[in-house]
Amino acid sequence: MEENNTTNFSNEDEKSKGSTRRNFLKNLGLAGVGVATGAAALYSGHIFEAKKEATGESKVLLTQDGKLVSVDSLEIKSHIKTGEELRESQGREGIPGRRWVMVTDLSHCRNARKCINACQDAHQLRPEQYHMNTLQMQDAPNTAPYNMPKNCQHCDNPPCVAVCPVDATFKRPDGIVLIENDRCIGCRFCMAACPYSARIFNWIEPKDAASHQGQDYNVELNVPQKLGTISKCLFSADRLREGKLPYCVEACPNGVYYFGDENEDAVTNGTTKETVRLSKLLRDNGGYQLMPELGTRPRVYYLPPKNRLFPFEEAKDATPEKV
Amino acid sequence: MGFKKQVFLLLLLSVVTGTRVSAQTWVVPDDQKAVVAPMKFTPDMQKQGEQVYLKNCQSCHGLPGKDNWAKLTPPPGDLAKEKAQKQTDGEIFYRITTGKIPMPEFRNIIPEDDRWAVIAFLRSFNPKYVQPAPKALAAFTGRSVTLEMQYSDPMKKIVVTAHEKLKDNSNVPAAGIEVLLSVKRYFGSLQVGEMRTTNARGEATFEFPADLPGNNTGNVDLTARVNDPKSQMKTTPATGTFAIGVPTDRPGLTETRAWWSTRGNAPIWLLLTYTLSVIIVWGIIIYIVSSILKIKKLSTHG
Amino acid sequence: MTMDDNKLTFEKITADLTHHIRINKGFVIWMGFLTVSLLACLFAYSLQLRTGLGVAGIRDYVTWGLYLSNFVFFVAASLIGMLVSAVLGLIGMKWITPITRIAETIAVAFAAVAGLVIVSDMGRPERLAYVFIYGRPQSPILWDVTVIVTYFVLSLMLLYLPLIADMAIIHNSKVAIPSWLRSIYKRFSLNFTDSPEQNRIINRSIRVLLILLVPAALSIHTVTSWLFAVTSRAGWDSSIFGPYFVSGAFVAGSAAVIIAMFFFRKNYKLENYLTDLHFNNMGKVLATVSLVYLYFNINEYLVPGYKLKRADAVHLQELLAGRDALLFWMVQIGGLVIPILFLLFRRFRKPVPVLVISIAVLIAAWFKRYLIVIPTQEHPFLPIQHVPQNFVHYSPTLIESMITIAPFILVLIIITLISKFFPVIPLHETAVEKGAEHIRFE
Repeated sequence: MEENNTTNFSNEDEKSKGSTRRNFLKNLGLAGVGVATGAAALYSGHIFEAKKEATGESKVLLTQDGKLVSVDSLEIKSHIKTGEELRESQGREGIPGRRWVMVTDLSHCRNARKCINACQDAHQLRPEQYHMNTLQMQDAPNTAPYNMPKNCQHCDNPPCVAVCPVDATFKRPDGIVLIENDRCIGCRFCMAACPYSARIFNWIEPKDAASHQGQDYNVELNVPQKLGTISKCLFSADRLREGKLPYCVEACPNGVYYFGDENEDAVTNGTTKETVRLSKLLRDNGGYQLMPELGTRPRVYYLPPKNRLFPFEEAKDATPEKV
Repeated sequence: MGFKKQVFLLLLLSVVTGTRVSAQTWVVPDDQKAVVAPMKFTPDMQKQGEQVYLKNCQSCHGLPGKDNWAKLTPPPGDLAKEKAQKQTDGEIFYRITTGKIPMPEFRNIIPEDDRWAVIAFLRSFNPKYVQPAPKALAAFTGRSVTLEMQYSDPMKKIVVTAHEKLKDNSNVPAAGIEVLLSVKRYFGSLQVGEMRTTNARGEATFEFPADLPGNNTGNVDLTARVNDPKSQMKTTPATGTFAIGVPTDRPGLTETRAWWSTRGNAPIWLLLTYTLSVIIVWGIIIYIVSSILKIKKLSTHG
Repeated sequence: MTMDDNKLTFEKITADLTHHIRINKGFVIWMGFLTVSLLACLFAYSLQLRTGLGVAGIRDYVTWGLYLSNFVFFVAASLIGMLVSAVLGLIGMKWITPITRIAETIAVAFAAVAGLVIVSDMGRPERLAYVFIYGRPQSPILWDVTVIVTYFVLSLMLLYLPLIADMAIIHNSKVAIPSWLRSIYKRFSLNFTDSPEQNRIINRSIRVLLILLVPAALSIHTVTSWLFAVTSRAGWDSSIFGPYFVSGAFVAGSAAVIIAMFFFRKNYKLENYLTDLHFNNMGKVLATVSLVYLYFNINEYLVPGYKLKRADAVHLQELLAGRDALLFWMVQIGGLVIPILFLLFRRFRKPVPVLVISIAVLIAAWFKRYLIVIPTQEHPFLPIQHVPQNFVHYSPTLIESMITIAPFILVLIIITLISKFFPVIPLHETAVEKGAEHIRFE
């Protein structure tokens, strides 16, 4: 197994048989082929882009969000895809015209962990696997502790996406950072690069893996989870497509989460279903981002934990068993 | 003995007053209590109600009969339990419709039929429940108000006009009607400005915020509706699309060439540097290999 | 010429440098031992392949453990080929001739195995080809793969080119070597007859390769350092990580070469060729690169330690006075400061003392990579909460340790095979330098 997996890297097995001339050349050849494929793959990206030239013929279509758009006829053909393929291309393109944004009101969080449970159910996660985790924070010795739900910040300058060697994690035009676990090689560079510790890894066989076998992969839900690949918060991209709020946002009993579209300047509270202006909400409540000094430009905003609805309590028995 | 009795009484008293206090905090008017559903509860309705419930109610009330409601104050409680089930359908309907902090007002979130569907779903957990005969709201005697909406270009304002249908079927402008204006957003409707009351001409004018985004052409979908918290009127809201928002056609967030872009969108200088380095170094390597292969031919002994 | 015994004849040199090329009992036992150990470790890896990376102690938070620190160590050790052959060679150091092949062998072995080490750290090793198919030129991993493959090929060629003349000499000589080996020699010596054109091609190729080797070698370790330095994590967010890693690599590589020199000298009876002078000089090299590395270490810890930014403060506290302090100070003092002090004295640069020092330095160099890779991940910016205890602190498992040992065995196998079946010391060059007459190619 090891032998097969590593021929592209180097060929010490062959050397150990004594460097025969043929093997030596094969070594060079393999390395050369490796680089050639690399270079070829690099350019195929460009060729693909170049193919998108217009035919001049255009058709008027009605989009999902009710807009009439004029589309080149060539593009229509290329978009007739089925099942998983369709989901994948949709998953990479996102929902046009949107810039999703989340606002987390820390004054309302009492660590009920309903968001976490809803999220873990939806994404087939084990108890110790968090897309969303509520942390007990204390910024300085004399400042008051508070609960802080923390998920992927869906940065506009995502360090995790930058380091991915295979384009398995990617940023969508609508702002969501997704993972394609069919592509992920499990190097975990993205986990090392994320300053928010937002990413998790399937170290062992995912939860109920046997029962999810053969299930079509949904890139917008990252389900079924796969052994040896990364997972993380997806802003419930599958729900957004249906016009629904994310799982966590809807599950919160305390009105902590607002979710919406920055382009519309509106966010909707998951508990009260009240829709408010994003700019006003952030302005009136002193909205801020986590570690803005890192330049990651998160799409998640926080409202400070003042005038709290609930007193702070130490979290009890929220630590899962050893895995 | 006397002491114990006193304590017992005291406890009893506190329990009784306690319930009275909490009951007093959310009184449902008698006429609303008497409201019955305008349709027969069917299994299909219960199924639909379940969906609505899971989406809107479960986060606080938990699953009916499972006692897994969120620990809030006041406690939301399990709606399959007797305390909730002993209410009339009208009472439940009123509570869903009007809400009371921290319970949201679902008047504009869940349509009327769906609210009834939720009640149908909740009643499915109560074997003793017998539905009262459905009664359409035919005997409605209140005011019947219809709204119309227009955009006045000279005033740069939205003008909502309320008409009232009188008994003799004539339409007259309705004064003193409270009107709310909202704009459609992806997950709900956003209220625009404050509530206005119609004047003698039945008109309420709204200033549309200059900085509110519309779609790529500036269109916004507006809805004007009557503020009628106690459902005393029969109202028809007005909807309309106007090009008065800020045209928002911001590019997707992936248009720049950046470190985090896809391969095809990598910075040009990086693509060039990487490719050129690989080509140059490997070109030299291949050249050296080919010249080494020549060594054999250069042998002085053939 | 600083060597005493200038009067060695060509026949004597040939016999001295080739007498070990035969399959003896010691070799069979040693290879058998290595093979059995490797098989045991491969069994551990097969477990990991079947059940996933969960067999190792790494978890969310500390996601890079022994495998990755081992990878950094292997890349580091491979850099010595460039220091000895290219840097010292190009600036005209003559004494390095007998060491060049040892250094190149180490470079080839460690570079090749480094590629395997990183595969053992992949959650989906069967998708290795994706790096070539879907590779993003923005990812340091793609750069790393590119430069490691390049460096490996360059090192392999640099190992091979000087061997052409040696193989030509041996296969035409009366030296008793196994017949299968003789036919390999015949094929690979490319009918080399010492003609001027042949020498011109070989010399020019070597010179070009040596020049290419410098940027390639600097790249492999600089890029490897960027796997860390491109993140904003405390302890990794450093602009001197490139030179810091490169200088550290020279320390590990020099120590490895000294150890190899010692064992070849003793086992293959090469006392006349690997003399005290070579140990003395390599001791000086080790002292010099260690001093440079110490300088970078001071920069790397003192500057953030002065500012004590929030995350850095926690990280440095744990490193300098907390959980990792014992290991940290043992590595810094035992593996760097004390060796430097000893190496300043000539008598500690004799073969045996310098061997002992090198062993200490090499072990410390391995733990140094551990200290660079792991503690940072135990101190993320946001608190680690609501996860099992083994997510908070990393401790390697037995299987993980076995998979970590496997690359070392593989390196030993490669070095053993190369050194067993080829002259450890360049035969032709040595003969020329020693002024031996009648060098025969036919």
